[in-house]
Amino acid sequence: MTAVPLDTFRAELERLRAGAEAALAAAGDAAAVEAARIEFLGAKSGRLKAIQKSLGGLAPADKPAGGKQFNDTKNAITACFEAAQARVAAGASGPAVAVIDVTLPADHIRLGHLHPITKTIRRVQEIMGRLGFESVDGPEVEDQWHNFEALAIPAEHPARDPLDNFYLAVARGADPLLLRSQTSTVQIRVMENREPPLRIVSLGRVYRPDTADATHYPMFHQVEGLLVEPGTTMAHLKSVLRMFASSFLGGDVKVRFRPSFFPFTEPSVEVDMEWGGRWVEMGGAGMVDPAVLESVGYDPDTVTGFAFGLGVERIAARRHGVEDIRDFYRNDVRFLRQF
Amino acid sequence: MIISTNWLADYVQAPGSVDDMVERLLMSGLNHESTTAVGDDTAVEIEVTSNRPDCLGHIGVAREVAVLFGRPLHVPDPRPLEGVGEVARSVAVEILSPEICAYYTARVIRGVKVGPSPKWLVDRLATVGVASVNNVVDVTNYVMLESGQPLHAFDLAKIRGGRIVVRRAVEGEPFVAINHKTYTLTERMCVIADAERPVALAGVMGGADTEIAAETVDVLIESAQFAPLPVRAAARGLVLASASSYRFERGPDPAMVDWASRRAASLILEHAGGLLERGVAVAGQLACAPAEIRLAADRVGEVLGVDIADARQRQILTALGFVEARGAAPHDHRWRAPTWRRDCWREIDLVEEITRIEGYGHVPENAVIAARPVELSARERTVRRASEVLVAAGLCEAMTRSVVAEEMASMPSPWGEAAPLVIAPPLVRGADRLRRSLLPSLLEARAGNAAVGVDDADLFEMARAYLARRDGDDAGRGPVEEPLLTGIVVGGDFSRAKGLCDVVLAGLGLAGDGVRLGYRPIDLAPFARGRAAEVMLERSGHAAERVAVVGEVAADVTGRLGLPGPVSAAEVRLDRLTFAASIERRLVKPSDFPAVQRDVNLVVDESVPWGEVEVAIRVAAGDVLEGCRLVQVWRDADRLGAGRKSFVVAMALRSTAGTLSGDEAGRIVDGVVAECGRRVNAVLRS
Repeated sequence: MTAVPLDTFRAELERLRAGAEAALAAAGDAAAVEAARIEFLGAKSGRLKAIQKSLGGLAPADKPAGGKQFNDTKNAITACFEAAQARVAAGASGPAVAVIDVTLPADHIRLGHLHPITKTIRRVQEIMGRLGFESVDGPEVEDQWHNFEALAIPAEHPARDPLDNFYLAVARGADPLLLRSQTSTVQIRVMENREPPLRIVSLGRVYRPDTADATHYPMFHQVEGLLVEPGTTMAHLKSVLRMFASSFLGGDVKVRFRPSFFPFTEPSVEVDMEWGGRWVEMGGAGMVDPAVLESVGYDPDTVTGFAFGLGVERIAARRHGVEDIRDFYRNDVRFLRQF
Repeated sequence: MIISTNWLADYVQAPGSVDDMVERLLMSGLNHESTTAVGDDTAVEIEVTSNRPDCLGHIGVAREVAVLFGRPLHVPDPRPLEGVGEVARSVAVEILSPEICAYYTARVIRGVKVGPSPKWLVDRLATVGVASVNNVVDVTNYVMLESGQPLHAFDLAKIRGGRIVVRRAVEGEPFVAINHKTYTLTERMCVIADAERPVALAGVMGGADTEIAAETVDVLIESAQFAPLPVRAAARGLVLASASSYRFERGPDPAMVDWASRRAASLILEHAGGLLERGVAVAGQLACAPAEIRLAADRVGEVLGVDIADARQRQILTALGFVEARGAAPHDHRWRAPTWRRDCWREIDLVEEITRIEGYGHVPENAVIAARPVELSARERTVRRASEVLVAAGLCEAMTRSVVAEEMASMPSPWGEAAPLVIAPPLVRGADRLRRSLLPSLLEARAGNAAVGVDDADLFEMARAYLARRDGDDAGRGPVEEPLLTGIVVGGDFSRAKGLCDVVLAGLGLAGDGVRLGYRPIDLAPFARGRAAEVMLERSGHAAERVAVVGEVAADVTGRLGLPGPVSAAEVRLDRLTFAASIERRLVKPSDFPAVQRDVNLVVDESVPWGEVEVAIRVAAGDVLEGCRLVQVWRDADRLGAGRKSFVVAMALRSTAGTLSGDEAGRIVDGVVAECGRRVNAVLRS
């Protein structure tokens, strides 16, 4: 049998070392490193093992040099394997921990969700709070005085028609009660019990007999602001609403007033805010009508005030892309969980 | 109100583009709805607020345009040629109820030829969406849409007895309207009658018997001033709203009563021929007395926060038809409103007129508002804290209707026994009872979710219930009490709902000194029998009261609603707990010394509730008891005896004064066992 030339043996070892280094460098995870180990360093059928067999085929004089060369190569590949093993293990929390699939679903706690109407109301409250307006509350079942008369809506006014209100079958004496049709009732109650200066926001459910459709619901929410202080002007109203709009919608938002009519304010305006490049009607506003100030015992010659009202559903619908306001009251958790 | 731009041009030279005009009108109070081309005309639909009946006619809108663009306004002055014959011989007019009709006029034209209207008239009516009927009826419609004053034309031959009587309807009186439907009238409504029967529902609609027909020869033109209330009563009560009723409900210009009558007579003579009888049959007095309004020179500036020059104020008011009263002081102007602006009678109304014409763009938006401190109310803080807890616990906030159907309302309320309050009309079909608890609505909401395949809708709501107060209750307060509630409906057994109820109450800060909460069994629908409790609040100076209920929902309820069970629920009366929001928390410094764990196994009779054992342990162990946890309830008739159970309790003992020794801990445990023995006959199982 012809002896294997030492050079051939060396070249083979060199090829093997290069191959092993390349494979281990390319191995991206523990499994690939292990596969490379088995291929090159495997005790039974590793490629190094195969070359070890040809060590015996060298000429006796070449054996010491060949053996040394073999051991060097084996050490180099082993070192390379250990480095690769350490490298892939460093990606996990510790060298001995089995690698996990980080994309597996986690153990969640389920968070609940506030209703988008609540969130909208709270946001308005927060902004108005920063402007010094205190949130107030009042009864939903109201009398004629607070829902109408004190707000300069006399008995013959069409707004008091039984078909346009939810009257209760019970009455206080001769005075029929009804579900409030506006939160301005709360403003009257506060003014009756406190002296100016006043800054309040009243908010809550109101009721009007509209047939439910995509933009109407017989129960909805209003937020109304009221400021009564000596020397209050429409400039204050516009300034407050502009600050509100800039805060609520973000950026330097413009506010536009268009003349309108409400029994309890004079002058009365519709308030438009520039939202998404368009004028959007946000609500009504105006200077508190002197008749309203008189009805609560204030002197309209010494104090003036402004009031504004916003429809919460309309704002929330626009904010969240809700096209049918009835969705707010369906209480489908697939809807509620999105907010 | 729909405006024809061709028509408008009769009174005012319109500005260059319709869009410009629409924009200015929009910014001065006439909201724009739509603009539509109709042939060579343009229909502009505007929204007219209820205080501006003057803009329910083309002339009124033309006046706004004239003022806004500084152009002259041309209003025709109709002078129909009178023929022979006195109107007074043809018809006698009488008003029996002046409070519903102040003023009534009739003109008579004899010998008309009823036929089609001229093209211009047909076209203009078509632009504003009114179908042509015949030349006489079209003229009355035209003049109404021109002046805002509704008119009616009768066939004089069919008016019996030569009389027109304006009176209240007799209760139950039948009336056949032009639409050939029969209506039953009430005494709140006003009719025009002849000598025998009603011929028109005043201000709303004419009668079928007396309408203008092809064979009509003699025409009576009615122009009158009807009060808003009877007109509204008829229009709403009979669901018979008309263009006429719409205007009378808002109050047309009194000065237009005669103008419109003359205008109609003139156009009928022109387009249907005939001869106008001399004079006008009149009853009543025209109600038209504009007041003098004082306007202080600086008032506009005081309201707006920016001045508008005196000359400009005067210019605007004059153009709008206000007349300056003579003899006014330099800083104290006095004005008289035009007849068509009965909405203007106070100084503030003049301020609004000046401002809306000048434009609100002039109002500054950089006024300074002084800072003021504000705080959320205790009620608001209570609601927020409770909802924070429930959101953290994974529940979604629902919003359900305050008004429920009778079936739902019949579920008893934890908060009062009075029957539900009823409203009319129903909020939505079938729902006319104010709710006394939120739980029925929340159960329905959960069922609604189950119906779309979502079985785990755990919901809460923060809302009010409505309870009728009995006579004599809380004198001086309203007849309706509105408890503020948190309703909770979740999947799971009693323990789940109780856990949520507990954390809400604890979250509100109710676990402090002097406040005690205790659970007691109750029997209350919709809860299953033996599976419900009330939470009683005890605090010093107050009678013990129910502040919450909690339980498993009975199977018959879940079954009826199609709810997969088990479902449990709780309701907390937040308005009784707001006091806690004002309790400042004081730090209890945690001990630096180690805790000692001791378990005891206490055997008691089956009838002994855990709550009593827990109280005994707390009383006996005192302040060193850091925690007391029920680990297990164990029953074994062989080892414990029949009718006995054991509570395995883990106690954590820790002192703030030093490390507890084994002996000290042992003495505490002995004390606990002794106290439990005294109170509930517990024995230690070793």
